Amino acid sequence: MSQAPVARLQEVTKRIGSRTIIDRLSLEVNPGEVFGFLGPNGSGKTTTIRMMVGLMAMTSGDIEIGGHSVRKEYPLAASQVGAIVENPEMYKYLTGYQNLVHFARMNPGVDRKRIDEVVELVGLEGRIHDKVKKYSLGMRQRLGVAQAVMHRPKLLILDEPTNGLDPAGIRELRDYLRQLAQAEGTSVFVSSHLLSEMELMCDRVAIIQTGKLIDIRSIRGAAASEHQQTEAREVLFEVDHTDAALGVLQGQGGVRIADGQLALTAAREEIAETNRRLVQAGIRVYGIRTKTKSLEDQFLEVTGGESVD
Amino acid sequence: MTNFWNLVQNENMKIYLRLRTWIMLGIIVLIPILLTVGLTLVTDDSDGNMWELMGTETIIVFSLITIFTVVISAESVAGEFSAGTIKLLLIRPWSRSSILASKYVALLLFSILQSIVCFAVTWAINALVLGYTSDPGGIIPESSPMEGHSIWAYMGVHYLYEWLQLVMVVSFAFMLSSAFRSSGLAIGLSIFLLFAGGTITGLLTLTDKAWVKYILFANLDLTSYLDGRSPLPNMDMTLGFSLIMLAVYFIIFNAVSWTVFRKRDVAA
Ligand SMILES: Nc1ncnc2c1ncn2[C@@H]1O[C@H](COP(=O)(O)OP(=O)(O)OP(=O)(O)O)[C@@H](O)[C@H]1O
Ligand SMILES: [Mg+2]
Repeated sequence: MSQAPVARLQEVTKRIGSRTIIDRLSLEVNPGEVFGFLGPNGSGKTTTIRMMVGLMAMTSGDIEIGGHSVRKEYPLAASQVGAIVENPEMYKYLTGYQNLVHFARMNPGVDRKRIDEVVELVGLEGRIHDKVKKYSLGMRQRLGVAQAVMHRPKLLILDEPTNGLDPAGIRELRDYLRQLAQAEGTSVFVSSHLLSEMELMCDRVAIIQTGKLIDIRSIRGAAASEHQQTEAREVLFEVDHTDAALGVLQGQGGVRIADGQLALTAAREEIAETNRRLVQAGIRVYGIRTKTKSLEDQFLEVTGGESVD
Repeated sequence: MTNFWNLVQNENMKIYLRLRTWIMLGIIVLIPILLTVGLTLVTDDSDGNMWELMGTETIIVFSLITIFTVVISAESVAGEFSAGTIKLLLIRPWSRSSILASKYVALLLFSILQSIVCFAVTWAINALVLGYTSDPGGIIPESSPMEGHSIWAYMGVHYLYEWLQLVMVVSFAFMLSSAFRSSGLAIGLSIFLLFAGGTITGLLTLTDKAWVKYILFANLDLTSYLDGRSPLPNMDMTLGFSLIMLAVYFIIFNAVSWTVFRKRDVAA
């Protein structure tokens, strides 16, 4: 992307007492991208988000949002951000609608019409005039999304937004976030534990562990598909005679029999070639399945599957 | 940037859309009515002076107003932290100082509203039951600097002094609320300040150390000056001196609230 990043974290460090919770974290979020922020429990995702929205002070480093320093020009930086930090706590004694009016007053340019629009968007029309104390967790989450997008922020920051949503709600949110990014060019910075979810909605994912950035991976776009072309993956062939097939493929990369199927490691072109050889040898091929390494596997690989520390 | 009044409106909404606020206002209306009607029934006498009873009721109701405002102010900051709503409140394009200021303004407005209700009700019920008179009765002592002024002026100044005391107690509560984020502690200590103040002033009169007149308690109750007395009879104190002392404490309390609220990490 040639445009300036919407958010830029530069060597952000947070120390509480003698503990370093975030350690020289640097990353950039581009306009119109859905950026995932992945890490095990206690790795510092929420802490990073708190610093991005000015709830916590940085020990050193700086964060710029739309070119404005969160340290030095907080109101300017904040005006471009909509966020949910951990749970979307609302005023329980107010109705959903009154809560939205409350937050609308704090951002310029949100009128009643826009409020009605976002209420419809998150599907709360039926319950918006109920007190929030009567809402379920999923309904509060929806209200949280409504207050976060109401003022059409350039950057939407969501801390585990699918928490408490039902499968339909998760799907809707995912589609909505992608649409926001594509149609309105809003950047979305989202942290989540649901790794498979991130795979479905993010363009890039950053992985952090104990406050350090470990890796940033592209999931969509050129870099990601090129990776798919050349990377050797585990492939399963479902054939009629596994032993005969094994004979045909003797000597090819890691070929073996697993669960009554023929397993081997091959890159994209090699899969087609292997199939041709099997068919030519008169072996019937019923199915070919590549075990794509899910983000979850990659994540566990990178973080070593460690537990909370 | 949208205007500051929007923030005050938000704080007002959070005060007036709660049932407890209306119960408080209800109590302020009810107490003078019950007292006046009750007293006339018990003593079977309706020739009392309306201003005298109004003055007594005002003193009683004003301690309630102070307590109510303390409760709301303690909740105003600490409550946002305990409910977690502080996060959504502070991520807006506003400085933390503006947000704290809007809360403070809304609290003062609430105390002014209660004072007006108190004045209106105590005046109306006593004028109604005891009959209106412009005669102040024995309420303005001869030693008072307001001697010779109309009873309206005297009552006005009386309310002003009571309100200044309230502002001090509420600022104290507000400070504890933002420093400790505990509404219980803020409410407890502020009410202690309000009620123990008189007793402690009493104790202070027993010593003749000059420094006691700089203590907050000694300067809280300005109505002594209205009656032509000094809060500490054995000290050389003037209204001007007390006002300066209150201003100093006021600045300290609010400076602490502001500093703590602006600096602190929100990890709620
Ligand atoms: N106020 C605090 N004081 C001291 N340590 C803290 C504080 N808040 C968080 N931490 C520590 O900082 C680290 C990161 O916490 P954080 O909440 O950012 O993790 P997270 O990645 O959001 O975890 P989760 O996935 O469980 O939400 C943790 O080890 C936590 O114990
Ligand atoms: Mg977290």
